[in-house]
Amino acid sequence: MAAAAQMEFSTPSKPTPRRKSKSVASPPPMSPATPSTVRRSSRLLETPAKDLSEAALFETPAKPKPKAVLFETPAKPKPAPTLKRKRAAPSPSPKTPTQTERKPKRQRRLPTNRVYYRKVVYDGGEFAAGDDVYIKRLEGEESDAEDPEAEDCRVCFRAGGGVMVECDACLGGFHLRCVRPPLRRVPEGDWACPYCKAEHEGRAMDRPKPPVGKKIKRTAKEKLLASDLWAARIESLRREPDGAFWAKVRWYTIPEETAAGRQPHNLRRELYRTNDVGDIEMETILRHCFVMSPKEFRDAANDGDDVFYCEYEYDIHWHNFKRLADIDDEPETKEDPSDEPYNAADDYNSDTDVDSEYDEEDEPAARCSARKNQSNEKILPANSWKGRIYGLQKIGIRKIPEHVRCHQKTALEKAKATLLLATLPKSLPCRDKEMEEISTFVKDAICNDHCLGRCLYIHGVPGTGKTMSVLAVMRRLRSEFDSGALRPYCFIEINGLKLASPENIYKVIYEQLSGHRVGWKKALHYLTQHFSDGKKIGKQANQPIVLLIDELDLLLTRNQSVLYNILDWPTKPNSNLVIIGIANTMDLPEKLLPRISSRMGIQRLCFGPYNYRQLQEIITSRLKGINAFEDQAIEFASRKVAAMSGDARRALEICRRAAEFADYRVKQFQQVEQTPSSANIGNGFVCMGDIEDAIQEVFQAPHIQVMKNCPKFGKVILAAMVHELYRSGLGEVLFDKLAATVFSWCHVNREILPGYDTLLKICCKLGESKIVLCEEGTKHKLQKLQLNYPSDDVTFALKESPDLPWLSKYL
Amino acid sequence: MAAAAPAPVAGHAHAVLRGRLCDPAFVHSCLRSSPDTNYSKLKYLVASSVSEACNNSVLLLGPRGCGKGAVLDMVLEDLRKEHPDAISVIRLNGMLHSDDNCATKEIARQLCLEHQLSFSKMASSDDNTEFMIDMLRECGLAHKTVIFVLEEFDLFAQGKQRLLYSLLDAMQSLTSQAVVIGMSCRLDADQLLEKRVRSRFSHRKLLFVPSSLDDIQRLMEHLLMLEKDSSLPTNYVTEYNSRLTSIFSNKKFKGVLDSLTDTDATTSNILRFLFRVVSYMDMESGLLSMECFTDALSSMQRQPKMDSLQDLSILELYILVCMNRLEDKEQKSYNFNTIIKEYKSIQDAYKTSDKYATTVCFRAFEHLLDRELITFADTKGRNVALEYRPVKLLISSRELAQSLNLNTTCPAVLQKLLDRERYM
Repeated sequence: MAAAAQMEFSTPSKPTPRRKSKSVASPPPMSPATPSTVRRSSRLLETPAKDLSEAALFETPAKPKPKAVLFETPAKPKPAPTLKRKRAAPSPSPKTPTQTERKPKRQRRLPTNRVYYRKVVYDGGEFAAGDDVYIKRLEGEESDAEDPEAEDCRVCFRAGGGVMVECDACLGGFHLRCVRPPLRRVPEGDWACPYCKAEHEGRAMDRPKPPVGKKIKRTAKEKLLASDLWAARIESLRREPDGAFWAKVRWYTIPEETAAGRQPHNLRRELYRTNDVGDIEMETILRHCFVMSPKEFRDAANDGDDVFYCEYEYDIHWHNFKRLADIDDEPETKEDPSDEPYNAADDYNSDTDVDSEYDEEDEPAARCSARKNQSNEKILPANSWKGRIYGLQKIGIRKIPEHVRCHQKTALEKAKATLLLATLPKSLPCRDKEMEEISTFVKDAICNDHCLGRCLYIHGVPGTGKTMSVLAVMRRLRSEFDSGALRPYCFIEINGLKLASPENIYKVIYEQLSGHRVGWKKALHYLTQHFSDGKKIGKQANQPIVLLIDELDLLLTRNQSVLYNILDWPTKPNSNLVIIGIANTMDLPEKLLPRISSRMGIQRLCFGPYNYRQLQEIITSRLKGINAFEDQAIEFASRKVAAMSGDARRALEICRRAAEFADYRVKQFQQVEQTPSSANIGNGFVCMGDIEDAIQEVFQAPHIQVMKNCPKFGKVILAAMVHELYRSGLGEVLFDKLAATVFSWCHVNREILPGYDTLLKICCKLGESKIVLCEEGTKHKLQKLQLNYPSDDVTFALKESPDLPWLSKYL
Repeated sequence: MAAAAPAPVAGHAHAVLRGRLCDPAFVHSCLRSSPDTNYSKLKYLVASSVSEACNNSVLLLGPRGCGKGAVLDMVLEDLRKEHPDAISVIRLNGMLHSDDNCATKEIARQLCLEHQLSFSKMASSDDNTEFMIDMLRECGLAHKTVIFVLEEFDLFAQGKQRLLYSLLDAMQSLTSQAVVIGMSCRLDADQLLEKRVRSRFSHRKLLFVPSSLDDIQRLMEHLLMLEKDSSLPTNYVTEYNSRLTSIFSNKKFKGVLDSLTDTDATTSNILRFLFRVVSYMDMESGLLSMECFTDALSSMQRQPKMDSLQDLSILELYILVCMNRLEDKEQKSYNFNTIIKEYKSIQDAYKTSDKYATTVCFRAFEHLLDRELITFADTKGRNVALEYRPVKLLISSRELAQSLNLNTTCPAVLQKLLDRERYM
């Protein structure tokens, strides 16, 4: 690989195993074909004097001219932004002819919208999403506005006038004639300038000093590598409502700025792509540069000075590196700010906050414009991205469907939307006391320096707001932390039912602490070290960790070791760990081994089922401002649910279902009438009847309906079963006996006698619907049958069947 | 003229009718118009969650063959037409994907296929779950509805129900837009859910029941009547339709229909029946007659055990009768040797000509075992010799008597033996 070859060479401290240059004779098997080395040596810093607009684009000629001449600094159409900076006007004005916005994806509908562009011509440069650019560091804005395209020779300190070669070690440029001994042509293979060579071999050799008064002009490349400039990749371009152009960029970083620093193997021109995304104004963009993958870099001969090499991605949160080729082959694919699964929620929220000021529909459409031009030739399988969500956004490319865009919501539809379980209510009524308790518990634990054995067990039936309350408390604490009132802490949320196996919990915790994925055994080892031995992992080593484990009971294994390990950590002297466990059963600690229950059962919090007033309050608080429900209807629903389970989800679902019934009725009515008459009573309201229907649907098994609609012989069989079971007093009946009863009844009542096998088939069908429980049909007459529903239900269902009037006398 | 109708016309009509019967969209097309059917209710539910960006979960319950799947397919097809690109359907079957890991993999595979992403078989189930949740969020942002169709829903409700939990939990916590549609023939499918899963399930239930007699008659007319403006000759169509209406008004036809629906009135059963009717069509004239219907009915009501009793040999019938006698004597368990003893005593008492050696009897006995007319009473006993294992009769004495009556070659003494048994 080119990278490998160069890597070794550019390591001044390391002895190079082979003589530089002319290495055609002894190429290592992996060494690149000659073109790559040629590129290095014959760096042609040409900027052909093209017309202004072209020059600004920095089109790089594909081929070097055979007779390399050119060393003219371009005739200054330079972006030189301090001088020529212009705000892009919303519409192309005659004064700024270059600021044409090409191919706007959609017509602007409202002036207040963000508009996303695929390509923007700005200050003479044409920038498209996916381009790499230099970006000025605002604070370090140097006054030398000129940006030398051509570099001075390191010996004669003049630019231009002949071919220059680049030293592979110091990246300095040399005229062929200035080098001692002078070179005839551009050498093949790696080449180091005499000075570097001397340094490398340990000799002292003074580099020529620049003439007094002449300042070395640094190229953008040098500034970048000296971290006076930034490089970034444009992710998307947009115009804000105020007319300013902004770009969303993903930063590159130089090796010096990573946590590891410059490593021996880093190339001079190596950059790391980060997972950090920022918004910048377009005016800070200097001009284009070219960041290439190893393959492109090798093939890119003579592409000018602004060529960089990028092989790895750098994770700024966890300070680790990932090879880009493992993620995706072309770096164009986008990544959301919510890159890591662990902080996804936070980032995601902030993201939507920004956008929510604008028309919501704008967002996906905007994505599409930005991403339209990507072509994915070869990407990694989508489901093994390890939590990265590259390229999934292309799902959103399509335009917003019409039905979403111009849909006026009626009161009923609004009510349905607010009753959704997914909508987060603005306030959480009725759980103030519990939330207060959780909040004091967590705060105590965080603020206390020695939080020992902190574990809170929360229990309650499903749908009583356990998880929701904890999460609300954590949100509140987070905002407190943001305002500076609280020490930093780390919050990890785990759901027991979402783990593939209980042991995986170690893996998940470790990943969220450190950002690495390891097997669970190793993770357990590290975590034990972290918590008990004080060998901290991750950068937030000393922060208290709040661990929320939802559905705790699923972590139970045969020997309960997972629970034991996890609950043992908080008791260690400086673990700084707080555990909040959530489960349904009240006596889970008692069911566990005593050594676990002694660690867990100390502090408990019970979420009792809601009573009807609370349910009513929850529903009305959600429906505030929407006039769709009758008051009695809400009360009825909440009373019903409170009597059965006290599950808030259930109550909300019933109300939503009732609203659906009402909506369905209204829509059907509109279809029939075409003109809805508002005088119709209770039409747009959810009334008691709807609630009743909804409750029926939720709470009633449909078996009576099905029994009523059974085929005739099915009913006879059911009746005969009730009869036989009653007579024998047993729980089950043999098919043989049952068939005999059916035949005798049919005989007495002059029905056509069904075949034996037909009866068996009907029995099996009933068994399939689980109206009766039966053994498999191969047992024929030895099949045992059992009723699955109370016999009263059967009697009730079959009492007045019109096609079998004689049946009722047997029941 | 019926006689003049050439065979190609009949063949064509035959093909048209068969095509109709095999096309569920045509069978259920009459549901589309009326507002009170499951079709319009389901369509409203799914369409409103597409257009109002909400999550829903529905259960379609009802016995097999009532058209749950067909109605759902129709709804999905219609919605695809109404909202192109806004719907992606993920289909899972409990028979194939009841294992959680396998189901998440399948979901990831179908999502990848739907959105032209490449898919890796090697991804772990965590990866797949994460991918699914990411996809749900992205689809929600793009106002795309993901519809999960879970056939044989009851089979998903086994074990820890991790799949259902993560699906339903994603639906209630994220900005996703998804509909989970479960289909099951178990009426208590929602009771099978674990309490946490049940709490997250939004309990919409649509019940599918067998149609009533009027509906069936209407369905039959809808399926069998030929249209005037088809490619078939007009005089043939009128002839055919008039014959059909006369059959429909026939009293005998009512009887046929009754005996059909008395056992099974589901749509699929009706379709099976009609297919047979059409297959019995007279290809000369291309018309349906009453005989087609009666023949089809009798072929629907085959009694396989009676049929297999018909062609048993005399010796085998002797063995069955002996077993029946033993069972009537309240002998709880008996084996081949007991049967042979009984057989010998009968032979001694009546001196019939049907006296066979024990080995021959054993062959007959094995044959009966193979035909599953008798079975072993115990499940274990692998190392016990065949003749010592207890056996049981699988047919009732009533069937046996009936088949002896129908069997012309059966010696009179056998019937007497069975009848005497009755009176004793």
